[in-house]
Amino acid sequence: MRFLKSKEGGIFLIVLLLFIVLSFLNPVFLTFDNLIDVVQTNVVLGILAIGMTLVIIIGGIDVSVGAMTAAVTVLIGKFMVGFGYSLPVVLLLAAAGGTLLGAINGFLVSRIKVQAIVVTLGTLSIYSGLTMYVTGGVWINNLPQSFIDFGRIRLPGGIPIQIVFLVLIALFTAYLLKYLRIGRSVYALGGNMRSAERAGISVARVQMFVYSYMGFLAGIAAFVHTSIYRQVDPNAFNGFELQVIAAVVLGGANILGGSGRVSGTLLGVALLALIGNGLTLAHVPSFWHKVIIGSFIAAAVVFDVLQRRRIEKQLVKIDVLQS
Amino acid sequence: MARQPYLAMRQISKTYPGVKALHQVSLEVLSGEVHALVGENGAGKSTLIKILAGVIRPDEGGRIEIEGEPVEFASPLDALRRGISVNYQDLSLFPNLSVAENIALGHFGGLRMNWKAARRIALDSLGKLGVELDLDAPLETLSIAKQQLVSIARAISFDARLLVLDEPTSSLSSNEVEQLFRIIHDLKANGISVLFVSHKLDELFAISDRFTVLRDGEHVGTYDRSELDESRLISLMVGRSVEYEKQLGDGSKIGETVLDVRGLGKKGQFKDIHFQVRSGEIVGITGLVGAGRTELAQTLFGIQPPDEGEIRLGGKPVRIRSTQDAVKMGIAYIPESRQTQGLVLQQSVARNATLAILRRLAGRFFLLDMQREREIADSYIHRLDVRPKLPDMPVDQLSGGNQQKVVIAKWLAADPRLLIVDEPTNGIDIGAKTEIHRLLRELANQGMAVIMISSELPEVLAVSDRILVMRRGRLVGEFANREATQVDIMNRALLGAPLKFEKQGKGAAG
Repeated sequence: MRFLKSKEGGIFLIVLLLFIVLSFLNPVFLTFDNLIDVVQTNVVLGILAIGMTLVIIIGGIDVSVGAMTAAVTVLIGKFMVGFGYSLPVVLLLAAAGGTLLGAINGFLVSRIKVQAIVVTLGTLSIYSGLTMYVTGGVWINNLPQSFIDFGRIRLPGGIPIQIVFLVLIALFTAYLLKYLRIGRSVYALGGNMRSAERAGISVARVQMFVYSYMGFLAGIAAFVHTSIYRQVDPNAFNGFELQVIAAVVLGGANILGGSGRVSGTLLGVALLALIGNGLTLAHVPSFWHKVIIGSFIAAAVVFDVLQRRRIEKQLVKIDVLQS
Repeated sequence: MARQPYLAMRQISKTYPGVKALHQVSLEVLSGEVHALVGENGAGKSTLIKILAGVIRPDEGGRIEIEGEPVEFASPLDALRRGISVNYQDLSLFPNLSVAENIALGHFGGLRMNWKAARRIALDSLGKLGVELDLDAPLETLSIAKQQLVSIARAISFDARLLVLDEPTSSLSSNEVEQLFRIIHDLKANGISVLFVSHKLDELFAISDRFTVLRDGEHVGTYDRSELDESRLISLMVGRSVEYEKQLGDGSKIGETVLDVRGLGKKGQFKDIHFQVRSGEIVGITGLVGAGRTELAQTLFGIQPPDEGEIRLGGKPVRIRSTQDAVKMGIAYIPESRQTQGLVLQQSVARNATLAILRRLAGRFFLLDMQREREIADSYIHRLDVRPKLPDMPVDQLSGGNQQKVVIAKWLAADPRLLIVDEPTNGIDIGAKTEIHRLLRELANQGMAVIMISSELPEVLAVSDRILVMRRGRLVGEFANREATQVDIMNRALLGAPLKFEKQGKGAAG
């Protein structure tokens, strides 16, 4: 009961409703292949949105996620073409590369104290510019066969290997937020930065961690993405940050910071995925996807702001003397 | 029980550029004592508390000792570890976290968050207070009073030896205050000291053992409760040494009623406000911070609508729904924080001065008439004596006093009937203050009706023709300038009962 009353509960009901409607409208929707396809095409979005959840909880933003992910796909693509494939090496390279890019954001935000939107707009441009310089905009094909084989692995029941990454990351991040001290610091910082400082939390260290973790997940997402598509398109993530942020906001995180959960974000991803899939199956032209998804986001934010304003209005500022 | 001082602060000074916030202040708090820290707005109470909490550092030369041992606080955590826990007025909690987390945050050094231990700590310290709360409820769903209790529970959980309560009762009901006082008594019995900062004299006398009085950043003295009564305490608090040149009119310029406020009220902010302001008159509104003065001004300027009552301008009832409405009706408002709300800091003096009259500057095709902008700016720079006399200078390079003149120029250009200024000389040096005072009088003499909100009693007395006093959202006093003294005003501000107003009438008796 408590769940249904929570924010996540509300989103869950919307997702469920959409799921039922789509099942009735289109017989193709409720097929194993379609559902697996929906999940697989949204694994990368899910991984990135989980990282973005932390960023948004601390009241930050990272618009360079797409650029970071693209940069790492090129990094590991070039590496594999040059040196071949080994799972631990390439995975580690992806994680390290992503973490480094995220740490640069974290450094600028936490130590130089530049606003996150400015920092990440800057690094968005730098990372994607460098990616273009390295590739000349040309796709990287001829990835090692062993890597392509890895990407095709299916677990018993026909579940693609990539889903394992998403599940592990979701579980770990949820655990981190709830049971690790750094997770509680993340919420504390987002709730009230000044109080967090007064309580002895190092704001800079938490910011550094959150942006680096975002970069780390961008690295993993790059690996997963490449394993699905088996080639590297340096332009694949242009503008992707919008979807990532949208999923987090639809998932109930407050864009002003303080709240957000992994479960909500996953529901937000599911919502975006179902809308997208439903529209595709209904042969709605793709530019309408943008309009409809945008409307959902605007509605979610407006709802949130209105609710907050109502609470604020009820606040008593002065205990007025009664005569 | 032998009582040694738990905390001793000696010769503490704090200098900010141009201002001496504290000068050689000493404070001694005994173990298990409730110690009241009192003083007017701006007397230096918050500065002293921030130093005690390790938020700011004092000037060289002062000493802080805990149980006789000298200490230095480099951070809030240092102070907390030495047993000093500060409950800020804004509570410093986390609205998005649960009750248990708010209490236990900061208790864990390891990598993991131990939820069981957190709940135990929370339960334990709430138990000590004799309070029951839902540990899992998000803090923002609790009333302010319960949040206050959470804040205190948090302090106790750190084994605080000295609890600093900064205006803890300002939003509590009388029942809740009683509960808080019972808790303070228990803490006291356990040897915990409490430093209590409040403007509510009745509460201070009900709970405090000793009083330390600050005035103008200086230590007036420390007294036992038995040495004091309310009137003596007030006389110790007021009587600031500064005197300003009087800028009073002789009454000959006072004309017709411009603003007539009848029974104005806004839930949770102010109630039953009646007053008039006539052209050529300066009405000072004073009271403690948080008395509802600014909220009233914001309502008159259309920032928030009132719930009840009537506003008349020039005899006609008006509804001011927005700041644009207010400007159109001839009302100007200069807020307290001029830098953030009154000026575009990076822009030039000329641009700022003409900001409120852009409509009139617009010529053909909506293009702004730069020539005229320059002329208008020049005329105000000379009239108000803004220095340096450079219309192109960015405002943020001017001194505070000259910035304030530019804000005033901005509104003069709009030629209002009613000017509302909120703390007009906040953070301005004394010479410039007098200039601003003179300017306000000049504006009144030209026929403007002026409302000046100020906490500084010498300023109120130097400028206002009439003085209104607010307390907790109500009008509690009205004085003509010549019959008012600082002590009278402070008496009302601290203790006054609401004035009674006849229905629809204007008279004041009280």
